Amino acid sequence: MDKRRVVITGYGMVTPLGKNTDETFEKASRGLSGINYIKSFETRGLPCQIGGEIDNKWIDELQPAGAQRLQAYSSRGLRLMMAATREAAERARLAEISDRGRIGVALGSHGDNPAVDDISLLHRFYDGKGTWDMQGLMRAGGYSALNFFRRKPDAATSLLSMLFDCKGPNLSFVSACSAGAQAIGEAYRIIKEGSADVMVAGGCEATLNFTGFIGFVLIKALVEKYATPQKASRPFDRKRNGFVMSEGAGSVVLEDLEHARARGVPVLGEIFGYGDSADAYRITDTHPKGEGAILAMRGALEDAGLGIEDIDYINAHGTSTVQNDLTETRAITAVFGDRAKKVPVSSNKSMLGHTIAAAGAIECILTLEGIHHSILLPTINQEFADPKCDLDYVPNEARMQTCRKALSNSFGFGGQNACLCIGQFEG
Amino acid sequence: MPQNIVTEEKVIEEIKKAVAETLSSDAGAIEPDNSLIKDLGAESLDFLDINYRLEQAFGIKMARHFILEHIEEMFGEGTAIDENGQLTEKAVQFLRARYGDAFPGFKANMDMDEVPSLFTIRTMAGGVMDILNTLPEKCAKCGNAAWKSDDGVKVTCGSCGEPAAYMNGDDLIKEWLTRIQEEKKIC
Repeated sequence: MDKRRVVITGYGMVTPLGKNTDETFEKASRGLSGINYIKSFETRGLPCQIGGEIDNKWIDELQPAGAQRLQAYSSRGLRLMMAATREAAERARLAEISDRGRIGVALGSHGDNPAVDDISLLHRFYDGKGTWDMQGLMRAGGYSALNFFRRKPDAATSLLSMLFDCKGPNLSFVSACSAGAQAIGEAYRIIKEGSADVMVAGGCEATLNFTGFIGFVLIKALVEKYATPQKASRPFDRKRNGFVMSEGAGSVVLEDLEHARARGVPVLGEIFGYGDSADAYRITDTHPKGEGAILAMRGALEDAGLGIEDIDYINAHGTSTVQNDLTETRAITAVFGDRAKKVPVSSNKSMLGHTIAAAGAIECILTLEGIHHSILLPTINQEFADPKCDLDYVPNEARMQTCRKALSNSFGFGGQNACLCIGQFEG
Repeated sequence: MPQNIVTEEKVIEEIKKAVAETLSSDAGAIEPDNSLIKDLGAESLDFLDINYRLEQAFGIKMARHFILEHIEEMFGEGTAIDENGQLTEKAVQFLRARYGDAFPGFKANMDMDEVPSLFTIRTMAGGVMDILNTLPEKCAKCGNAAWKSDDGVKVTCGSCGEPAAYMNGDDLIKEWLTRIQEEKKIC
């Protein structure tokens, strides 16, 4: 078989900055932040009190047809993904494709965390020594059996396949911050190898509740020192001290180029390559020389058959943690050598916060939007230069600049690294 | 007040146990002057675990923030760490006052990232002893001076059974910094 090319025919997102791609991109190009004080649960007494929350009204408003009857089984993240996929599917005219067995789903997500109310309810029927009052719990009737589906990440891909009638390969990724990018990367590989013609791929995350939040607080991964919520996420800045947790979803429709041409759907971009690796180093600490990140970036370039001189922009993982931003800078410098200081690098997380499983997908889409508009999105909150982070981070303001090909990095907490090489479709 | 119920040897023994459990290594192979990071391979998450184990064992609250962070908060940004991420002369003076000559390695312009690797089982024991030595003379609950310990680790009131209440590790560092500043006028 001739080498298949994988293009993008649709995308959609819901983020703290906007209900759809246009809204998020427009606000991001003005350097606005979607971070604020958390309203949906009590944060008093916690060392971090901010996050990127999405308005509940948007979620209800943006649900696609058929989603209502699945609501009871759907995690909050899945509902965001349904909204994002609705936008992507409309753009890609997904419904008009006849062979549904050739359309698959690849999703990075983590399901819902237990709600504090659920935990409190269950504890009322537990004596603390191993005995459960099952009769009492059943009489109280307050614990929904459907919580089971909302916790399981794989339920999301199942429901997405039902809602969008995708009978092809169905994959669930749970690799934290790299899950969304891995989903897109593996979907790309599936199309390349011929197992599907179209893949709905991306990531969603909505674990911004007390139990989800407190986990990151306990391991001291979240920002604790900030002047205002909007200034807290400051990737590559010397005063960075942890990430800001957010929710969101990004959905991308990937398609075999010939398939797209045959049905005459507009092509929005191309995926040229994908590289992935594991740090195999520590539980959360990144490899000091960024070996895993280097492997992933070089892998993406090699898969794409491109060199460092072909890359005009890097969408960084840039979480605003002391470690990641330093390691990522070192890795980019190692891969790009003398060219490293000439390639602009920016982090969308400076404005959106860290959307965890959704990040890889949202950032891939924002990179493509930037290419379409000839705008490089900024890394905001660049106030204090860190001599160890010395690349061009497109500080504070968006920049008008054409770009044809880019790398988008997603480096997961446990050391899973994913790098997508994406860009303009040039025929 | 300085107490002699929990000895420094016991503290070192407990720290070795905590470190061995956290890192799944052999407590017997750990030396008091081993660097937690360089010699024993601890990473950032391990410190959280080790601290938690010690808090449970001794009934104390370990400091959540490093002394350099406290200096910056009390005396202003840039006091301990300059804009290049290096230790200032003032930071070195504070560190020398606290750790004496244990660390000839502390010098101005040292990269702050290198500081954690200097810490050893013994320096950690010093921190725990400082907290244990804030044991009040009398039990707050019953007013008696009857402290005892069955295992040489956890201290309780011999009269009413109430667990000993120590000063919190972060407050202790702040108190020490205030005192040293008054004495030596470093800032």
